Amino acid sequence: MSWDKFWKASSVKHYPGKMEVEKYVYTPGIHGLEMAKALKEGRILGMRCGDTVYVPPRTFCPDGERGELVDVTDEEWIVAAFTVITRDMYGNPVEPQVVALVRPIDAEGGLFHYINAEPDEVWIGMRVRPVFRPEGERRGLITDIRYFEPA
Amino acid sequence: MREVMGVRMNLHVKDRVAVVGAGITLFRRRLLETPRELAWEAAKMALDNAGLTLADIDCVVIGTAPDAFDGIHFNGEYLADGAGGYGKPTVRVYVGGGTGVFVPIAAWWHVASGLCNTVLAVAEEKMSPAHPHPQGVFAYIWDPVLERPLGPNLIWIFAMEMRRYMHRCGATKEDIALVSVKNKRNALDHPAAQAAANITVEDVLNSETLVWPVNRLDISPVSDGAAALILAREREARRITDTPIWVEGIGWSLDNTHWYNRELGYPRYVQYAARMAYRMAGIERPWKEIDVAEPYDPFDYKELHHIEGLMLARPCEAPELLKEGWFDRDGELPTSPSGGLLGVGNPIAAAGLMKAAEIFWQLRYEAGRRQAKKPVHKGVAQAWGDLMQVGTVIVMSN
Amino acid sequence: MGEKEKLPGHYLKSREMYELPGLVEYQPQAKYRFSAGQAQTRFLEGLKEGKIMGVRCPRCGRVYVPPRAYCEYCYAATSEWVELPGTGVIHTAVISYISTFRERLEKPEIVGVVRLDAPGYKEDSYEFAGLFHKLCGVAEEDVKSGKAIGMRVKPRWRPPEERVGDVNDIECFEPVEEG
Repeated sequence: MSWDKFWKASSVKHYPGKMEVEKYVYTPGIHGLEMAKALKEGRILGMRCGDTVYVPPRTFCPDGERGELVDVTDEEWIVAAFTVITRDMYGNPVEPQVVALVRPIDAEGGLFHYINAEPDEVWIGMRVRPVFRPEGERRGLITDIRYFEPA
Repeated sequence: MREVMGVRMNLHVKDRVAVVGAGITLFRRRLLETPRELAWEAAKMALDNAGLTLADIDCVVIGTAPDAFDGIHFNGEYLADGAGGYGKPTVRVYVGGGTGVFVPIAAWWHVASGLCNTVLAVAEEKMSPAHPHPQGVFAYIWDPVLERPLGPNLIWIFAMEMRRYMHRCGATKEDIALVSVKNKRNALDHPAAQAAANITVEDVLNSETLVWPVNRLDISPVSDGAAALILAREREARRITDTPIWVEGIGWSLDNTHWYNRELGYPRYVQYAARMAYRMAGIERPWKEIDVAEPYDPFDYKELHHIEGLMLARPCEAPELLKEGWFDRDGELPTSPSGGLLGVGNPIAAAGLMKAAEIFWQLRYEAGRRQAKKPVHKGVAQAWGDLMQVGTVIVMSN
Repeated sequence: MGEKEKLPGHYLKSREMYELPGLVEYQPQAKYRFSAGQAQTRFLEGLKEGKIMGVRCPRCGRVYVPPRAYCEYCYAATSEWVELPGTGVIHTAVISYISTFRERLEKPEIVGVVRLDAPGYKEDSYEFAGLFHKLCGVAEEDVKSGKAIGMRVKPRWRPPEERVGDVNDIECFEPVEEG
């Protein structure tokens, strides 16, 4: 026996809904706070666990212990992967923009960020360096780095 | 109704399971830590407590309530590294407010099945990100078609259940307020406590009436926090500690979401879950055999409701026993010696796991000033959740 | 773990939180469109006509309000639509002093659960046909004393031209006048 479908799909009623949250506020956390302070100073941090440096700093090292924070701003950064954005999230065309996973050449992990270069100039393994916003505009966020540019 | 529901199961288990360590963070309205840092802090404390490192852990079970509270989708996956799940078989379980006790239940079957020797069970909740109040997120548990158009507040549903319980059992607001008084007082001895206080029944009655019969002090606070347990199979457990606490029984049961199509004065689903756990534990008279209990208390009446659902008192008998001091720490059957959600705080999933952790500390005689006066051999922790729907129960012994 | 244990966690006051560098604020843009489904759409259309419609399980005879496509006990498809008288008794009732977002209401609102008169249920059975709705013409004192519970009620319908096929086509449930 089955439910008799004597209703057309178009006649089924619908109710609109909207998530009733004005905003979410995310605290940076213990290591995130250190990272945020560093960004304000125009620096990027990583975490050293034994022989490995993780960027950004992790909650804890793979063995469950806390690692040591290290400055990785002036390391040799490379493009580990990239893609070219041609549309926004609603499908509207935008100026081509390169987004990439960049990391210090010997580190694990990496940062997700913009590359200030033409799409056909970017390649995996390309050397890049961070460009920060002016000090007064920095708020301890990832956007304190304006983009990475070819080094 | 099919009375066999919830007690029909296979009792053959491969390995006996013990709890060998526990950890907890502070419970507070707002914590600096990210959700994964909270998970890590609680998990680290549990590992240290058991004298283990992450390398000794085979599998990880994570519990956290709806993603919309933390404001992070796939919160279980997000928490995975903080919870020690890095490169291990890791799973997140979720049954609404019942999640906290469901986490050790799921950890139990990981071990009892013979699949994992050791399991790290972590529960985390950060309710402070949603602004102006997590209430806006709670609005989404109501049915969008038949309930939300009436403009409900979450407290309505609890008030309706409390009113029904009062009517069915002839209980007064004064009777029920005693739970809040007891639990907030017990919480004075809990180092994680957010809402510990010495208050009186009058304080509860004089606090703001939100939805009659619910006043502000009838309710647990909004919290951030995390808790963790480590479970191991018998052979490992005996190697790790001289005082393993055995998981003797587990049970859970879910009713339908049509909460206004059911008797609200008695939680049938909690009874089903409890019978499943007691049957596994070989307990026939829980009111005599259980020495200490942590029934879920997000609202004060809920503790009484759940004491009855857990069959630690006959239906409608709990208010009278409470008045006689039966459930005090020095009473016949101490309930919520931790201070419960009313006193310690209510970071949803973490609050349920805190209750299971308290039974662990009680049965190890490690609860300090919170320790029950009477000798304790068997304890039960329970959580509840969804639309008056789910019961999760764990029975432990020493 | 005794009462003196030093536990991890750093408490923040609201002001301290807003002063933190690296604090991220984000406005969610989640919009939804919920389908009422076939059974509930039929129920809502009934409300527009001033009728409370239930649906019967062919096996156990329970009549479901709100209706569902299946009987959850027999796990059979429900089949036959039944118009109910709409009368029932108050199962529980409360007085709300706050709105959905916890603002203080000027005039408190009484809401509750109505256990509807419907065939297929034993007297005082655990499960029943019922609705969650506003209650009017019920005194606050009666809610507090418990007199309201068990009181017989019926729907107060909005005028036909104002009904749109929504749960609010019923303005509220109100006491049935004696005699």
